[in-house]
Amino acid sequence: MSLLSHRVRGFRLVDVIALGLLVLLIMSVYLAKTMAGRERAEIASVERLIAAERAQIRLLQAEVAHLEQPSRIERLSSAYLDMGPVAVTQEATPEALAQLSLPAAARAKPAPAPEAAP
Amino acid sequence: MSLMGLVTRRFPFGLRWLGASFWRLEHAFERARAAGRVEDDARIRIFVVMLCFGLGFGVLAIGATQAALFSGAARHAVTGWTPPQARADLVDREGRLLAADLLHFGLYVDPAEVWDLEATRVALARALPEVDAERLERALSGERRTFLVGGMTPVEKAALHRLGLPGISFEPEQQRVYPLNHTASHLIGFADTGGQGLAGAELALNDDIRSLAGGGGEVALSIDLRVQGALEDELRKAAQAYGPKGAVGIVAHVHTGEILGLASYPDFDPNEASAATADQRLNRAASSVFEMGSTFKAFTVAIGLDTGVATMASTFDAREPYQLGYRKISDFHASRKVLSLVEVFQHSSNIGTARLAVGVGPERLSRYFTDLGLTTAAAVELKESASPLTPKVWNQDAVASTSFGHGMNVSPLALTRAMLPLLNGGKMIPLTVRRQAPGYRPEGKQVLSETTSAQMLQIMRANVTGGSGGKADAAGLSVGGKTGTGEKYDPAIRRYNDKRQVSSFAAVFPSDGPLENDRYFVLILLDEPHGSPETFGYSTGGWVAAPATGALISRIAPFLGISRHIGPLEHQPRLASAPTILAEAR
Repeated sequence: MSLLSHRVRGFRLVDVIALGLLVLLIMSVYLAKTMAGRERAEIASVERLIAAERAQIRLLQAEVAHLEQPSRIERLSSAYLDMGPVAVTQEATPEALAQLSLPAAARAKPAPAPEAAP
Repeated sequence: MSLMGLVTRRFPFGLRWLGASFWRLEHAFERARAAGRVEDDARIRIFVVMLCFGLGFGVLAIGATQAALFSGAARHAVTGWTPPQARADLVDREGRLLAADLLHFGLYVDPAEVWDLEATRVALARALPEVDAERLERALSGERRTFLVGGMTPVEKAALHRLGLPGISFEPEQQRVYPLNHTASHLIGFADTGGQGLAGAELALNDDIRSLAGGGGEVALSIDLRVQGALEDELRKAAQAYGPKGAVGIVAHVHTGEILGLASYPDFDPNEASAATADQRLNRAASSVFEMGSTFKAFTVAIGLDTGVATMASTFDAREPYQLGYRKISDFHASRKVLSLVEVFQHSSNIGTARLAVGVGPERLSRYFTDLGLTTAAAVELKESASPLTPKVWNQDAVASTSFGHGMNVSPLALTRAMLPLLNGGKMIPLTVRRQAPGYRPEGKQVLSETTSAQMLQIMRANVTGGSGGKADAAGLSVGGKTGTGEKYDPAIRRYNDKRQVSSFAAVFPSDGPLENDRYFVLILLDEPHGSPETFGYSTGGWVAAPATGALISRIAPFLGISRHIGPLEHQPRLASAPTILAEAR
């Protein structure tokens, strides 16, 4: 008796196998589709969130640019911090710091002449 | 008639074949039993059915897998859409945002879905006071969904959404926003709601801005926002002090032609460009032309040196007014002595300059003016760049007039461009509003010799240390420059009016060091300023524009990496504590 003619509880083995394969195919396609759909929905949702966040970031960047506009900073810093453009008397190079830390009298005094060699 | 017979007669061949095949298959079992081969034919039948199912499911599985895994439709729907009017961001040379498309919303009304017409009318009128009642009524009483108002921010949209009005819906739209409002308004320009640039860089670089939209691209302008801020502040202070009808400020790199700052006063808010007056929208740096006055003497002196007509040792007799044809040319402050070339520049002597120009001659002077770009619109991307008004005939009279900046109207940008060869080694280069790569040096025609350029730097410096530009000096920054005061022609009195002047200062810093060093040109121009008690009533360039130029240079030098070259204690008399610094900074 060939395998195709073999019967299990009255059903042909080939029919049972075919039915099993059919059910397996249906289930696998269903599961794959369902899971992929869920993933896709999740991806779309995350991407929507990213897009919304990006839009929000751009809004905030524009807001920062608006708040940091030079004329506004200038107005606020002079009105509330009593500040203004840096004057030349307020600039110093790192090399000059040592001299600037000396008292005014010491700075005005010329450097002592080196001692004569014996 | 049998069913087979009906199929055979009524239907086309294809259907008939399909019907016959089905019929044969359906009766195969009966035929097989009759032939005694029941089992064999049942197996064939099962195999055929299995094959069909298998093929069908195979196709479905492949299709489903492809649709599930490889379709980008959903992703595209979320992020990939770029509106047709989209424009790329504009940023300054350091990447600070100047203009951007931001998500806004348009509000639509669908009368068919409105439940309570009166309540909706009242709620919308209260929430949207800018929408006139007639327009609202038309939208509510119409027969179809109507656009009511656009440009709503997300916050405005959320507030309206919370009212829960049926029949009200929103659609996303992009809107061009200029977050800096008035800052650099004339340089940035503005675009219309259709995404088309209408003015400034928005118009000049329209194609680039459109093509880079959507991909997160940005277009970098040449301006430095810190320089721009200081420029506008100093220009505003000068405008408040001297009440001109307009003012211009320009800062440019002499070797690259990059415009680091450009201001035109009065200015406007590009977010509400339509609400601004034509006078506010006018870019005086590019669109207005002026008789510049004595700043042109820099060109005349440079041409005199370059042609060999004059040397640094040349002298000019300015003891008496210079009679040229029917014209008598005299000096604003008559020195009544023989002047050296440097003194001609320092005293801004009309007599000396006219004598020099006559020596150069009309043909050479006009050729040099052409080479310096003074007879054409300034070469820059800005479409507003205006053509100059030049003498129709280059005769002795035109030579004398143009030598000290009369009889020829040019835009401040054209003056700026023409000044660059005097300061950069003699190369004529275009101005640009685009940020250029570090080390960029554009190609350009050599219109003056390097020697002439080096001499002009010395002469301009001498004018600040001992001439009319003294008020523009900034400690340790080796500022050089030339004052300019051009009287305006007054049609009412049919002659030049000494009460209406264009006062300017054209500066360079630092004027020392090798020619190839980084160096910057600064122009401050006031159109019809008024003298004040502090200026003893004078409104000339040396009194009203030079101080603003010096103050500006002092402020922007650190931003541009130019350090002061003076002794450590010369400008630092004491170590100021923080409170002292704060107190003195006023």
